[in-house]
Amino acid sequence: VPCVSGDLPKPTNVAFISINMKNILQWNPPEGLQGMEVSYTVQYFIYGQKKWLNKSECRNISRTYCDLSAETSDYEHQYYAKVKAMWGTNCSKWAETGRFYPFLETQIGPPEVALTTDEKSISIVLTAPKKWKKNPEESSISMQQIYSNLKYNVSIYNTKSNRTWSQCVTNHTLVFSWLEPGTLYCVLVESFVPGPPRLTHPSERQCVSTLEDQTTALEVK
Amino acid sequence: DGVAVLPAPQNLSVQSTNMKHVLTWSPVTVPEEIVHYSVEYQGEYESLYTSHIWIPSIWCSPTQRPECDITEDITATVSYSLRVRATLGSLTSTWSTLKHRFNQNSTILTPPGMEITMDGFHLLIKLEDLGPHFEFFVSYWRREPGAKEHIKVVRPGVLPVYLETVEPGAAYCVKARTFVKAIGRHSAFSPTECVKVQGEALPL
Amino acid sequence: GLRRCLISMNLHRVEESFRGIKTAIQAKDTFQNVTILSPSETLHGIKPLDVCCVTKNLLAFYVDRVFKDHQELNPQIMRKISSLANSFLYMQKTLQQCQNLCHCRQEATNATRIIHDNYDQLEVRSAAVKSLGELDVFLAWIDKHHRGTSAAS
Repeated sequence: VPCVSGDLPKPTNVAFISINMKNILQWNPPEGLQGMEVSYTVQYFIYGQKKWLNKSECRNISRTYCDLSAETSDYEHQYYAKVKAMWGTNCSKWAETGRFYPFLETQIGPPEVALTTDEKSISIVLTAPKKWKKNPEESSISMQQIYSNLKYNVSIYNTKSNRTWSQCVTNHTLVFSWLEPGTLYCVLVESFVPGPPRLTHPSERQCVSTLEDQTTALEVK
Repeated sequence: DGVAVLPAPQNLSVQSTNMKHVLTWSPVTVPEEIVHYSVEYQGEYESLYTSHIWIPSIWCSPTQRPECDITEDITATVSYSLRVRATLGSLTSTWSTLKHRFNQNSTILTPPGMEITMDGFHLLIKLEDLGPHFEFFVSYWRREPGAKEHIKVVRPGVLPVYLETVEPGAAYCVKARTFVKAIGRHSAFSPTECVKVQGEALPL
Repeated sequence: GLRRCLISMNLHRVEESFRGIKTAIQAKDTFQNVTILSPSETLHGIKPLDVCCVTKNLLAFYVDRVFKDHQELNPQIMRKISSLANSFLYMQKTLQQCQNLCHCRQEATNATRIIHDNYDQLEVRSAAVKSLGELDVFLAWIDKHHRGTSAAS
């Protein structure tokens, strides 16, 4: 049953939230209708193409988000999306995003961080974040393949000296040697791409202790 | 009896250091009155293609002080023309234009402030944040005959930056200079700073 | 290897200027079903050998047509567009210094013509607004293809 358009206020704050090319359209319920049984319908548009396209999984939904990753997976194209609210026989006008350019706007997730230690050193192995993919079976694409100038900001916190310092690297393995034995160090890593500022997502802080000094351990024996 | 004609500001000049540019002029004084000034600029593009267009300075249209921070107006490495006029109520002076066009590539680049510290056997450097234009070339070496000089490009951040893992008993020296890609120029190097690493030198 | 003619400049400021006009300018562009740069037909297929010529041609397209055809009353947007125009003028000068490395093959000329033809299809003010709104595509392309070694050695 066609609804009467415009009687309802539009959804607000309609925008894409994008991390590693996983592109989620999000919005807030119309003013004054929070908590009511409102449903939503989403459409999207590929800039330069001819018409708005439906997203069948986001027709008459009650949630306030819609995953458009598959529809916007060509990150060198630009997109619009829009959403309208329906309540009973009334519906709102469309609320539209600005032009969304995944290549420049997606946020870069943190790398995977693996730490190993010995007496006086910590080895750090980084694995680049992965681009969103439709099916788990698909082969993974690293964000490094999309952004060849992807870098990592590694910060290391010495819990004994209470000092933190950082290093910017492009390679995926680094070793901090000549550390203090029997000391807890905490590591945190951020991916970043030089260029337009993007929100950053630091990795979980991982702490690891260097082994006790073996020489003193032997003497004690 | 008011002022019939307001004199135009004189002695316009630009002082530019580390990509911060300030336009100054001699104040126009009218007893017991507050004179305001308006600053406008024209980049090389406007001079060539739209010469009738002058753009109001972001911070100084108007201003009361006889100076204007034009850093955010000068945003390309081309020559800019700048002009100032005085206003007092309905009275407005003629424009005074800077004699020589200004280009940010003439900015004075000073050696960067730096702080060298150690965390255990790790040589760290903290650099003065001079803004997004600046990269830092840090040169460091072990103080011994024939030592190799290492160079690291560093972008300033909140945290000290790791330079090198050092050996006990040795001494290491560091100096740094800035590089501004927008104008393709370096500063001079900062004075060299050396630090002695605690502990016994390792047997050869 | 073939020494390429690269624009060695900090695009940070230019990108910042674009972000200052993106929302307002793209909102004025109501023809979502057409593009000027048509990157999949023009920019995405450009080979390294043609990068310099396409860059030179597109800088000229913006300097000689787009920035001139656009009329702006908002002082803030006017400042950002002045910043972009003067930065493009600087990039043009940088490229002029290596003329002998900036050969124009048919592929580059074809790509440029598509863009000019797209521009001519629209009324001039709309075409200028649309071209300004697509600057992020061109800047991303420049950033990707003009990343040589840092000139600062």
